[in-house]
Amino acid sequence: MRVIADLHIHGRYSRATSQSMCLEEIARFAKIKGLNIVGTGDFTHPKWLEEIRESLVQDPETGLYKIAQNQALPVYFMITTEVNTVFSSGRNVKRIHHVILTPSIETATQINERLTNYGDLSSDGRPTLNMSPSELVEEVMEVSSDNMVFPAHAWTPWFSIFGAFSGFDNVNDCYQDMTKYIYALETGLSSDPPMNWRLSQLDKFTLISNSDSHSFWPWRMGREANVFELKKPSYMEIVDSIRNKDKERFRFTVETDPAYGKYHWTGHRNCNVSLPPKEAIKLGNVCPVCRKKLTKGVEQRVEELADRPEGYKPCNTINYMHLLPLSEIISTVIGADPSSQQTWSIYNKLVEKFGDEYSVLIEIPKEALGQTADEKIAEAIVRVREDKIKVIPGYDGVYGRPIIFEENQVKKAQGKREKSKQLNLSDFL
Amino acid sequence: MNGMFKFRVSNAKLLRDMVAAISILVDEATFNVTPEGLGLRAMDPSRVAMVDFEWPKTVFEDFICTEPTKMCINLGELLKLIRRTVKDEDIELSMDEKTGKLQVKITGKYVRSFTMPLLEASEEEVPTPKIPFNVRAKAATDGLQGAIEEAGLVSDHVRIEADSEKLVLQAAGDIMGATITFQKGSTVLLDLEVKEPSKATFSLNYLSEIMKAASATSDIVTLEFSTDMPIRLDFHQAIGGKLAYYLAPRIESA
Repeated sequence: MRVIADLHIHGRYSRATSQSMCLEEIARFAKIKGLNIVGTGDFTHPKWLEEIRESLVQDPETGLYKIAQNQALPVYFMITTEVNTVFSSGRNVKRIHHVILTPSIETATQINERLTNYGDLSSDGRPTLNMSPSELVEEVMEVSSDNMVFPAHAWTPWFSIFGAFSGFDNVNDCYQDMTKYIYALETGLSSDPPMNWRLSQLDKFTLISNSDSHSFWPWRMGREANVFELKKPSYMEIVDSIRNKDKERFRFTVETDPAYGKYHWTGHRNCNVSLPPKEAIKLGNVCPVCRKKLTKGVEQRVEELADRPEGYKPCNTINYMHLLPLSEIISTVIGADPSSQQTWSIYNKLVEKFGDEYSVLIEIPKEALGQTADEKIAEAIVRVREDKIKVIPGYDGVYGRPIIFEENQVKKAQGKREKSKQLNLSDFL
Repeated sequence: MNGMFKFRVSNAKLLRDMVAAISILVDEATFNVTPEGLGLRAMDPSRVAMVDFEWPKTVFEDFICTEPTKMCINLGELLKLIRRTVKDEDIELSMDEKTGKLQVKITGKYVRSFTMPLLEASEEEVPTPKIPFNVRAKAATDGLQGAIEEAGLVSDHVRIEADSEKLVLQAAGDIMGATITFQKGSTVLLDLEVKEPSKATFSLNYLSEIMKAASATSDIVTLEFSTDMPIRLDFHQAIGGKLAYYLAPRIESA
């Protein structure tokens, strides 16, 4: 059976998360989205773990968890969390985020007993721990060899393994002797597999994708995910297929176009400055408006670390598919907000008719879509599916803007920053 | 090893203002010290702006340079040392041959001596942009500086345009706009030569910092520009020498 899993989300005890982000609501929206497995997130938080204990029950067949009061709902939970390790490396302080997967509430409890020695687990759904990544992996793997740790959103400028501000240049430098337990790397919204394929050091890792969502809305949760073909869903089946980069079981990742991510290009949000790597380098990574250092984007950071040309594809890779959340597609076509009534009305019609959002995005033929929604929306869904859209790249915390139809909208959408481009003197010497 | 040099300025304020004017673009500055005087040409890290500075040895009370050499210093650090100096104090900069450090001696009501490291000099020789300028405008620095600050109230960039009669600064923000006009022969626009009407847009952040810092060294500035080309701002130095800036334009699309 096909299993779609989003293994990295957050509960209501994480910062910037809605108070209504409870497990029942996550499960309800996961079904609408078409997710079969979703991470609980935040198992390190004592109150959230208590809610996990109260709301979920372990399914004896799969070892995964279901909503206790609604076991007929076809959504499983995997026990997961994200932590922030803070430590000194030479003269720098490194802040790196990691995702932890664990088979049960019992193993999660044991992990918490160890991690509580390194920081206040109740301070945030994603706690800050004063320990190195290798210490983290050692502690987690000592609890159970079935546990899994991988670097979260590996390229974002802050808090990531390759981040421009406080990251490393190499996975080994981060996890040191514990690198042997690292099997996967979460690519994050602003990068996709082809960008990561340009680093030969990443060939041995399985590239996975998750939403890191702080809300259950379908334009956030499941916007990136992993698609498996399994005999039956189980914790070990998922972990094993990731560890072995098993293409038979791990079929593909769902990715947004990397330009959609908030840190794809280099720029300054407040100055409306957004630059591709070459232009940013030409300007010495200094903002031409405020003259402060620019926030280096993921594309530029990949360019710095890449040892292969653009377009290189190594052998033995997991496939991927570029998609956008259905709400985002509809809202782009009709010019409304993803959360508007108008968008929801079209979204609900499509999901009610075809079962869930992923089916609409991936499988349903254009003709059938056109009988339920406007032809233009059907066409837009197919264009996204076939990767025939453009995205004005995101930068410094600003999401990218999809352009699904007219080319001239690209120029229009580039707006102010295109309207006034800073040249440098090298152009005149 | 650098050649030996020693130079003294009797008005400390001159050196302080000049260092401040250069430091707005460059942190670590490599000066060329030659028997003829002191010079520097450097671009800021983004290569959007350039400063072109020269002080002949006649500016100094004493000027000794045994052979052409380079002096690379952190201008921020030097400014800290000389920020409190006043007009009737004098400053002497020299290289200590034993330590290879820069000695800064300030003499006023009392004498203070500082040492600071000399950094590794940049070998980059920066050429000036070769631009056929179509507009040459001579203006009073205080008047132009005020206008630049006013344009900064509404936008982060300004379009400078000129025809045979006037020089106009046009700033357009998201919600506000400003137009500032100087007629030829006014008290601010002292002279205007126009081969052909021209216009170009520039970052106000750069322009205002340049105007603010350089106006302390000069009362008159000559602007030279052409359509969508870098602007040159040459601040007239009454004591001799040169302080000029080049600033690359921003290109506006339709």
